[in-house]
Amino acid sequence: MNKRQTRTFAIAATALSSLVFLGLTLDSHRQFGALTNAENITPEVTHGKDVWHKYNCINCHTLFGEGAYYAPDLTKITQLRGEQYLTAYMRDPSQFYDEQTHRRLMPRQNLSDTEIANLIRFLDWVSKVDNQGWPPRPILVTGTSIPGMDMTPLQQSIAGTETTGTLPPGARPVSGQENPIALGQAAFGRVVPPCSACHSVAPGVNLAGPTLAGIAARAEQVIQAPDYQGTATDVESYIRESIVAPSIHVVPGPMYSSGGQSFMPDTYGKDLTPEQIDQLTAFLSTLK
Amino acid sequence: MQYRSQAVAYWYFAVAMVLFGLQIVFGLLSAAKYLGPDPLLYILPFDVTKVIHTNLLLVWVLTGFMGATYWMVPDESRTELHSVKLAYVQLVLWVVMGVTAIIGYLFRFGTGNKLLEQPLPHKIVIVVVMLMFLYNIGMTIKKSGRFTTTEGVLLLGVGSAAVLYLPALLHYENYTVSIFYRWWTIHLWVEGVWEMIQASFLAYLLIRLSGADREVMEKWLYVIVGLVFIAGILGTAHHYYWVGVPGYWLPIGGFFSALEPLALVGMAIYAYTALRRSGVAHPNTLALHWTLGSAVFTLFGAGLLGLAHTWPSVNKWTHGTLITAMHGHAAFYGAYAMIVMAMITFALPSLTHRRSEQGTAVGFWAFWLQLAGMFGMTLSFATAGIAQVYLERILGLGYLDTQLKIQVHFLMLVATASVFAFGVALFIWDFFRFQPRFETAANTGPADRSVAQMAT
Repeated sequence: MNKRQTRTFAIAATALSSLVFLGLTLDSHRQFGALTNAENITPEVTHGKDVWHKYNCINCHTLFGEGAYYAPDLTKITQLRGEQYLTAYMRDPSQFYDEQTHRRLMPRQNLSDTEIANLIRFLDWVSKVDNQGWPPRPILVTGTSIPGMDMTPLQQSIAGTETTGTLPPGARPVSGQENPIALGQAAFGRVVPPCSACHSVAPGVNLAGPTLAGIAARAEQVIQAPDYQGTATDVESYIRESIVAPSIHVVPGPMYSSGGQSFMPDTYGKDLTPEQIDQLTAFLSTLK
Repeated sequence: MQYRSQAVAYWYFAVAMVLFGLQIVFGLLSAAKYLGPDPLLYILPFDVTKVIHTNLLLVWVLTGFMGATYWMVPDESRTELHSVKLAYVQLVLWVVMGVTAIIGYLFRFGTGNKLLEQPLPHKIVIVVVMLMFLYNIGMTIKKSGRFTTTEGVLLLGVGSAAVLYLPALLHYENYTVSIFYRWWTIHLWVEGVWEMIQASFLAYLLIRLSGADREVMEKWLYVIVGLVFIAGILGTAHHYYWVGVPGYWLPIGGFFSALEPLALVGMAIYAYTALRRSGVAHPNTLALHWTLGSAVFTLFGAGLLGLAHTWPSVNKWTHGTLITAMHGHAAFYGAYAMIVMAMITFALPSLTHRRSEQGTAVGFWAFWLQLAGMFGMTLSFATAGIAQVYLERILGLGYLDTQLKIQVHFLMLVATASVFAFGVALFIWDFFRFQPRFETAANTGPADRSVAQMAT
């Protein structure tokens, strides 16, 4: 090849690639509306996006996997955590996580209530964008899909639990002064026997008990179903009922119950304090 | 130094050095925050140190590009710059823009759009500076009547960089659309036109450092540019994974970004054969280290480590983890930081008094410490990233719990980053410890002699 030929190659390659790229860009524009549910971009969602930008969120978090890697991905966060949880969290992150334990903490941003509400609307819009099903598995902020994985090896060894306690190293120690949702989250792994021994909060992870991801949405369906026998009238009362009297409504499946009797212990009603049950209910009802 | 006006390059390089030093300070601060707890949580939180770290990178590398261009174009076109005054005005405007942007970031005064955080007035200044720069270079070449392929490629690279910045000035209502166009600037810069700039500096340096024939070098330069764009333009698609764009970008991204290393392999072979066939024809051994180092480290950081997570079926798991930080650090350093340091090291003996032509001992220490440090940092990010992918993405352990389990890699990161920072400090010290000199080649040093020989 001489210099002229190589020059032609460079120009032709660039021109052809640019042409294809521009063509695909035009076609993408044709599809953006449907893929991103553009009709749902309300002024509130747009304001939420501005809040996201204003507080520089992307330089710690990722959204659609893009951003910095110092804080969790938030693409699907509104599908994992309800509005009450996210609102309480954004008002004061230190109620939910402890800097000494986690070695990092989100600084309080002093958002107004409108800013918080619209930011959640924006994140909810993000969570519904058709992005080829990413992430392939839910990205949890804390805790674990498989119980015990967040424990230290010593805690998992037979001899260890007495000296190290049952709290995983990543759990926030609570003083009792925190938000009830945060206290409920802690109680989930601490009551005896711990809820987390049989229930995961990760979608699709069914252990000895069914996953509790999305329990708030499912509860609404259950209490409206004609075969529902219990007395609950809303999500909170359904969750409370399931904790203290697990057999009133059983989740279908031979691994969860037999002869109408749930395998879940029915001891929580008398072993837990009313506050603990309130806190667990507050936490679980935010799992969308 | 052959032409008096090349002295402007010294001030561009000096500014680049100061900003490079600052970039590393903010990088170290950010890395330390991974170890936590953070005593500066409410004074200088991670998002602030990180945004300053990445923005300083862009600013200092672009400053280096501009300085290196002002150094190279008079050499190539055998003439003085069109306007030295304009070059200085441009530098002052650029520094004011950069410094005020950084101060603004300290108070969260930015757009919050990744890598394009510059507020609108700053973006406009960036465009104005680019136009001044292009005008000055264009007029210089026009006046001289001598236009080499090497500078043609450089000019096209710099010009396209300015054009591609324009989508960043627009506002998009739809977050997905704004991501789509953000990559027109960022990706097409770093994996497109900046590679053109890098390749033309590489050609310039190789033509002068080795005995290679200009015709041959420039012929292959075209091939490299062709390869960069075949893969680079459609390779933008690898940024379109999982962000809400049509699914056909997935296979396109996989295929074309797998081709991206071709141009980088090309560059490495290019550098190797130039020296192998023609031998070294210049005493500046240190500049040769940086030149070859850049070609090889680009192949490693941008090529190999990019390829490692570019397939959609792999990227599905690694997307948004520290694997990206692994690739990002090695790629930017190899391709852009190193080529700027190569140009600086090449120009420096004739821009300063009493500096050894071969390169100083401090200079060699700076080179090897930086290389070792960056390699260690890359490994730290890689090991942390792999562990993160398995624990968090595959086994479903929570993000925060995972970060606790990979603390040891962050210790390794801080340790290797300190080695790197020491290398950078030595480079900066070596830059400033000799007085600048602004005489032309009337009292010719060996560097200028060989430049003069090559030019004739």
